[in-house]
This record gives sequence, structure tokens and C-alpha cells, in this order.
Amino acid sequence: MTSIPILLIRHVTKRFGERVLLSIEEFIVTEGSCTLITGDNGSGKTTLLKIAAGLVNPDQGKAVIGGVEIPWTKARPRIRRDVVYLHQDPYMLDTSVERNVAYGLRFTKESREKIYEKVADALRWARLDHLAHRNARWLSGGEKQRVALTRARILNPTVLALDEPTANMDQQSRISTYQLIDELRNEGMAIIVASHDQTGLAPIADRHMQLIGGKLVKVESVVRRGKIPIVTRFPR
Amino acid sequence: MESLTDASLQALSLLVSGDAALWKIISISFGVSLQAILFTTPVALLTAYALAHFQFPGRRTLISLFHTLLAVPAVVVGLTLYLLLSRSGPFGDLKLLFTQTAMVLGQIILSFPILVAMGHSALQSADHRVWETAHTLGATPLRAMFTVMHEVRYGLFAAVIAAFGRIIAEVGCSLMVGGNILNYTRNITTAIALETSKGQFAQGIALGMVLLLLALVLNYSLSTIRHRLAMQA
Repeated sequence: MTSIPILLIRHVTKRFGERVLLSIEEFIVTEGSCTLITGDNGSGKTTLLKIAAGLVNPDQGKAVIGGVEIPWTKARPRIRRDVVYLHQDPYMLDTSVERNVAYGLRFTKESREKIYEKVADALRWARLDHLAHRNARWLSGGEKQRVALTRARILNPTVLALDEPTANMDQQSRISTYQLIDELRNEGMAIIVASHDQTGLAPIADRHMQLIGGKLVKVESVVRRGKIPIVTRFPR
Repeated sequence: MESLTDASLQALSLLVSGDAALWKIISISFGVSLQAILFTTPVALLTAYALAHFQFPGRRTLISLFHTLLAVPAVVVGLTLYLLLSRSGPFGDLKLLFTQTAMVLGQIILSFPILVAMGHSALQSADHRVWETAHTLGATPLRAMFTVMHEVRYGLFAAVIAAFGRIIAEVGCSLMVGGNILNYTRNITTAIALETSKGQFAQGIALGMVLLLLALVLNYSLSTIRHRLAMQA
């Protein structure tokens, strides 16, 4: 793993009325790393991920881009370009799996043929090709998560922010998701995962951070403890 | 006075034979209402989106205002427009009174609050994750707006159908600002009112049948949409 910081935000504060939701001095994501963020419900995990993805504006905060500290408003468009956020229960557009995966590519300058070529490749990668024409709304939770990961991966973001990616999943789907996350990280994507599933994600994570009451109280580097259990990948 | 059965049979005969005067009235009615709905829908849906998506001072007041305007009688809109467009009115020089344009304007005013109020309800019911998903996947605010609208399209179609049903069936405004001029501003509802006042029911019943058929089609469309919405939920 290299230690080039690709996302660095500082002095981030987010309030809701008088209540401080998040108060963080520094948050760094390095190239190809996997950062696990744990914490109780309401500790600020989702808020931190949404801020890191540029979806929510902090009340205060700065970002460091190219070694220069710049105000949040200026950094936000760049952050939004680099970071893709995935909800705990990913939203599936009311259309086919294929069109869901193609959604982000429609905003690029790629031709329609090229887009659908990439989509077909991506669906094969995630072993979702047999579901390509199925309405994504009717998929299971695990399949939706895989569609969401594929929809994000196809855009080749620098950072992927995953909010509780294995919540409400059975063991088989969880393991499939761990493997997908690990593959994405191996492809060079930096991953931030907010999760209660410390045991399952620890083997993939390089760093573990804990949020308590919106404050980052524990930061530790972890040695990758092992391999993900081998199972039949992406059951059809 | 002709019996209801005779009048109904004559009405059917008029419809089936393709009576030119009758079909002219029907085409004027549809032409005016379609123009009104086509002009109103984009602006009203943008307004509805702004009310659903952005926080700004006076937002709640505006929402209440649009809901209040739903109950304004067509004849009051007609009267107001008449006063504005009459020769002595502020827009008298435009010479729009007793024209199809005036009828379109009246129907725009009538349909706008319906589209905004119902569109706002539909857009507000959209899952907050749609907007975030669109944004994080690279959509511009405009493209994200279209994505949100696409996700609640059945609710928006229902708004358009309800607004169209309201304006094609209204009589007060069209009569006052259109003037009920044959082959120009006489539409289905104003023709029914005129023919009834003359005691000639056949054409009135024929036109009434068209409106009933339209109501049937619109209601069927709405129930299909409601079914889709229920499936979506």
C-alpha cells in the first residue's frame, strides 16, 4: 500500500441546531487503502461519509488538494468527482439492472455503444449479467448491493464510500460483498467503509477508526489479519 | 321538446356521421386545452420541484397559496381575465379578448395550481436517496432533477391528467374570455351550454358523450397510474 493522501479534510464540523453531529480535526484517505469506520448509531458515520463524498456540506471544514488547503466550497466539486457514495440500502432506479449500471456513464462523453460495452463487461465482472434486463427494484438486498458496487466501479472513482454495505445480509451475500470490496481495493480504489460489521470487514481494512458522539476517538492501523473465507463467489 | 331517447339517438348519429360542426367544436376544445397543458406543464413542474427541493423564505406560504388556488372557481378566473383583457383593462391593447389565446391563458391559470400542488406532493414523496444517488454518480443538478422526476413519473402523469381533465371540462372561463364564437372559440362545454339554452339537446348530448368518454379514459389512466404507484411502493 502506498501512503499518498488522496482525500484529506480538516477541521470538519457539522451541527444540527445546537447538537454537534460531527467534529473532526483531520481525516485522511490514502491511495488504495481501506478505512473502516465503526461507531454506534448516531455517532456520525453516515454524516462523515456524506461529507467526504461531497453530498453534505459541513458547517466548517477545509480540504487539502494537491498539497494546498482550500475552502470546502471550492473543494466540493473536485471531491464529488473523485468520491462515489453508496447508501446502506442502495437506491435502485426504477429501470433495468443494465440501465442502472449505465446511469453514471451517461454523463460522460462515451458513445452509447461504448457505454453498453463497458456495462456488459462490468456485469460479467460482478456475475450479474444474467440479471441485466431485470428491473433492479425487484432484486434481493445482496444483489442490489452488488449492482450498486458495479454502478460505482464502472465510473472508476478514486474513493468509494460505503455505508453499512453488509447490513441486513445473509452470510453468503456478506462474503460476496467482502470479496467485491477487496477486489475494488486491489484495483487501486481507496475504500471508506462505515459499518457495525467489524469482524467481517477487519480482514480487508488497513485502518480502523472509531467515532463516538461525532468525535474520532480512536485511530489505529491494523495489520490485515487474514483472508476472506473462500466460498462460491456471487451465487446466481 | 324532443324525448331524451330521440335526442340521444340523434347525438349518436351526429357523432358517427362525422358532423363537421360538431367535430370542429371538439377539435377546438382539445386544441385549446392541449396547448394550455403543454405550456403549463414544464413551468409548473419546475415550480413544484423548487418547492419540494429548495428551502427559501416564503416557501410554506407559496405551497399554501397553490393549494388555495385549487379551489378558485373557473368563472372567477374568467372574470379576472376578462377585466384584464377587456378594452378598458391594462392589457386591452393586446386585443386578446374573445380569442383562443385568451381561452388558453385562462386554462393555463386554472391548470397551473393543480400541476404545482399535485406535482409538489409527488416530488416530495420521492426517496431522498434518488437525488444523492444521481449526484454521487456524476449527474449535474439539472440531470439529477430529471432523474428525480423520472422516479416519480406516475405521480406527475397523474397531476397532468387531473389538470387536463379540469380544464377541458371547465365552462365559466372559456365562455367569458372566449365568447363562444362559432368555429373559433366555441368548445365542447360552451356549446353544450348554448345548445341546452336553445332547447336543442342532440348536439349537447353528443358533446356530453365525448366529455364522458374522455372522463372515462382519464379515470382509467389515473387508476392505472395509481396501480403502478401501489406496485412501486
